[in-house]
Amino acid sequence: MKRLLQIEFRKILTYRIFWILTGLYFLFLVLGLLMAEFMINNMVNDINRRLPIPIPHVAIYFFPWVWQNITFFATIRYVLIFPAIVIIILITNEFTYKTIRQNVINGLSKGEILVSKLMIIFLFSFVMTVLLAIGTLIIGIANTSEITAGLIFDKSIFILGFFMTMLTFQVFALFCGFLLRNTGLSIAIFTLYSLIIEPIVYYFLKSPLVFENNISKYLPVNTVISITEYPAIPVLKQVMGLHLQDSLTLSGCLIPAGYAILMLGIVYWVMVKRDL
Amino acid sequence: MENILTIHGLSKRYGKIRAVSGLSLEVGRGQVFGILGPNGSGKTTTLSTILELIRADSGTFEWFGKPPSKTSRKRIGSVIESPNFFPYLTAANNLRIVCDIKEIGYGDIDRVLTLTGLYERRNSRFRTFSFGMKQRLAVASALLGNPEVMILDEPTNGLDPQGIAHIRALIQQVAAQGTTIIMASHLLDEVQKLCTHVAVLSKGKKLFDGKVSEVLSVSDSYELSARSLDALDRIVRTHPEFQSVTPTDGYLQVWFHREVDPGELNRFFYEQGLVLTHLSVRKRTLEQHFLALIDHEA
Repeated sequence: MKRLLQIEFRKILTYRIFWILTGLYFLFLVLGLLMAEFMINNMVNDINRRLPIPIPHVAIYFFPWVWQNITFFATIRYVLIFPAIVIIILITNEFTYKTIRQNVINGLSKGEILVSKLMIIFLFSFVMTVLLAIGTLIIGIANTSEITAGLIFDKSIFILGFFMTMLTFQVFALFCGFLLRNTGLSIAIFTLYSLIIEPIVYYFLKSPLVFENNISKYLPVNTVISITEYPAIPVLKQVMGLHLQDSLTLSGCLIPAGYAILMLGIVYWVMVKRDL
Repeated sequence: MENILTIHGLSKRYGKIRAVSGLSLEVGRGQVFGILGPNGSGKTTTLSTILELIRADSGTFEWFGKPPSKTSRKRIGSVIESPNFFPYLTAANNLRIVCDIKEIGYGDIDRVLTLTGLYERRNSRFRTFSFGMKQRLAVASALLGNPEVMILDEPTNGLDPQGIAHIRALIQQVAAQGTTIIMASHLLDEVQKLCTHVAVLSKGKKLFDGKVSEVLSVSDSYELSARSLDALDRIVRTHPEFQSVTPTDGYLQVWFHREVDPGELNRFFYEQGLVLTHLSVRKRTLEQHFLALIDHEA
């Protein structure tokens, strides 16, 4: 285990593209989070001009709701695609440089190669989660007037949802990279599917008559981003009585995990069957 | 002798093309085993199969008397086709990855870099290397940890004369330490210079194998002529070293089992009452011999 991690670390440590893309992801994340509150209030101001009773100023980054809101914004498709592309590059590089052949020749098994990439995904997701948790704590403390320990950690379960989302979405990326092997093609197809094709299919599959239980919500990428499905905007709860998501649900986590396990199984089977 | 590698009836098809068909080989410890054949004769497919990069359609092979595994691969140092390394990593870091895979310490890195003349460039990125240096780094990586077996696929392909000489000298040096070497090449002269044993492949089939000195022995032929070719033919067959004869317009082309002195040959016919009107020795190049071997069987 330690040996496989050491090998992977050496590949990443001085790889500039990895750090640039990871840095970009963080930059977009921070900008996105700062923009979110601003944009919501812009919308509110817009609506207020036509309403007799104005909606009060919306704040979303205070405890305990800050956990749910930050993880929601951090896991929208357009942000999530960055770490997934990083993973695709790390995997398809092995095919481009033919180092996967050389690693097998030198004495790695195909199973070990898959496991070492999985460990990187796990670690990458874990580090991102820790960083986001620290960020959320700082933002929350800065935006909450009366802080109690209970209040701080009340909805912190959502950070686990972020970890699950990162983990499963990157396994999808691994699946794509190992099957297609070509960097450009993998990124193009993965991005096209996640950002364009699936939303279109979702739209057409969704029956307007049935709100719940339509099959479109079982589309793979949708299950992943639905782990944290809705933001919590307290004012909406008060004004409209909407109560969309209180906590993570077991089925919400298990379905994307099921997809991820299935994909890992397929990748392993294909790797064993296919010539390198 | 202990077998390092045994291959039984290996076959691999790519669509309609039979890359390797029914190949069986045995490589003993300490041999320098050449797999000789023209391009497309199945050399690389064979090497890729025994390193488990590709799956054979049928047939089996054993390393060190056991079914192949990642453990057996760790005891083998290999260079297959192009040198495969991370372009953005330094030479030393690329070799550290190889050490981690083979579960050996980093202590050997400086030695192999020095042996291949790359020590000064150990901290340069692989991307900045010339083709010859890349090839040498591949050989350096194969040398890590003094493996029991080295597999080299066309090790001098694409190198300049100086590079070829360097790599060949390295191979001889490693072989002298008793390391078993399995080497694919399309260069007959390379196999003859470096190898103790050889298998000749053509279109995925093994034509011959054995000791280089036997399989690749080059015999000269003699062109003989006399007034009566019939009489010449009859008498030459009585020569104690006679091997074969082929009539070629106006001459007989004759092969003997060993080199025969032209003067002695002349005397032989004279003593039998036949005067030669023509006698010349035809030197045969290695390439002609190789082509004749392959032609003969195909």
